[in-house]
Amino acid sequence: MAWIAQRRRQTRFETVVLPHLDAAYALARWLTRNEADAADVVQEACLRAFRYFDSYREGDAKSWLLRIVRRACYDWLGRNRPAELVSLASEGDPDIPGHDPPAATIDADALLQSRSDLQRLDRLIEELPPPLREVIVLRELHELEYRQIAEVTGVPIGTVMSRLHRARAALRRAWDGKGCG
Amino acid sequence: MWVMRCEEVRARLDAYIDRELPETERAVLREHLAGCAECGPEAAALERLRDGIRGSVPVYQAPAALRRQIRLALRREAVASAPTAARAPGWLAYAASLLLAVAVGSGGTFMLLGERQEDRIASELIDSHLRSLLGTHLTDVASSDQHTVKPWFAGRSDLSPPVVDLRSDGFPLIGGRLDLIDGKPVPALVYKRREHVINVFVLPATKGGLDRALIRHGYNLRHWDEGDLGLWAVSDASTDELDEFVRAFRAATGS
Repeated sequence: MAWIAQRRRQTRFETVVLPHLDAAYALARWLTRNEADAADVVQEACLRAFRYFDSYREGDAKSWLLRIVRRACYDWLGRNRPAELVSLASEGDPDIPGHDPPAATIDADALLQSRSDLQRLDRLIEELPPPLREVIVLRELHELEYRQIAEVTGVPIGTVMSRLHRARAALRRAWDGKGCG
Repeated sequence: MWVMRCEEVRARLDAYIDRELPETERAVLREHLAGCAECGPEAAALERLRDGIRGSVPVYQAPAALRRQIRLALRREAVASAPTAARAPGWLAYAASLLLAVAVGSGGTFMLLGERQEDRIASELIDSHLRSLLGTHLTDVASSDQHTVKPWFAGRSDLSPPVVDLRSDGFPLIGGRLDLIDGKPVPALVYKRREHVINVFVLPATKGGLDRALIRHGYNLRHWDEGDLGLWAVSDASTDELDEFVRAFRAATGS
């Protein structure tokens, strides 16, 4: 019966995907920067993932889920914090095909240096523009490999590497500059 | 013996501390770092930053309440997506047939069946929209040029979609795609609004079809007819943005 099949599908989804809920929530928490919104976004993303579950093939469930969560986070940012979605300064690859030419660009260094109240690393990370913030979170906190980060963020590995490099350089300069190294 | 210059080493430092370098390169780098007064401290600083992040940054965990809510929502979703006949108990089906009989008697049949049909198409379109977002198959023909996209559909579908350029309205054309809806090939035009994808599906017009705005599963749908064609715009862009898109689209096609 269709009803039983649906329940089976639900059980399988819970077994395969829900073990990665903490990782999903953490990514959403870093990207939305608050708990209530992170919870909303993750719930919405899980439902999206469930609807799309038939297309999931055995493999890296964590990357698969994080990719959907990230997408939901960007949708949320687009609705609620569009100013955060300006493109990165001097990045040769607009990572979204057909992306509008940026109205403004962000220089991560200038951004961090301008905030003298930022001393703690977690606050510094929160101030990075989302494309740099997410590579730091995925690499340092989720300990994903470059290949997985590329899959989650939908950009080539070369772009992952250059973003990681830029994010770390900006964090280091801001962190060392405050004498907290 | 392979020797690297400092700039070659620097270019690989991130990959080195992330253990993403092949073992041969790794060994060369390790040797260089041990002997170089510039690169050695640079690598140490990167490692300090990594340890600092891992040591001081909060580890967020999903609240138990969220976990419960998601399970509940999944169950609702699973039940709701099972076909009606299979989940409705016998008495409910019976009641529904009575209701239908009343509706037929009062001339409401068309509306009842019409809405059900519309709902079914709406869910198929949302599925199709979701597939386009999550897969690698956003477009079959990727072009921002309407004169490239429109001819692509000729011979592939009986329906010839109106393709308009809305870049100046802030909705650049990304391309076109052929999807299966209701078992038939259906042209889809793909536009963007910043991060959001807007899919415009082109179906035969629904006779007497009204302009409709629907929200299903958090996605916005807009439906309108243009001559023989019934157009459906589907997106996760905001209601206002999708309305703006439809206005721009209809202004450009003169409908």
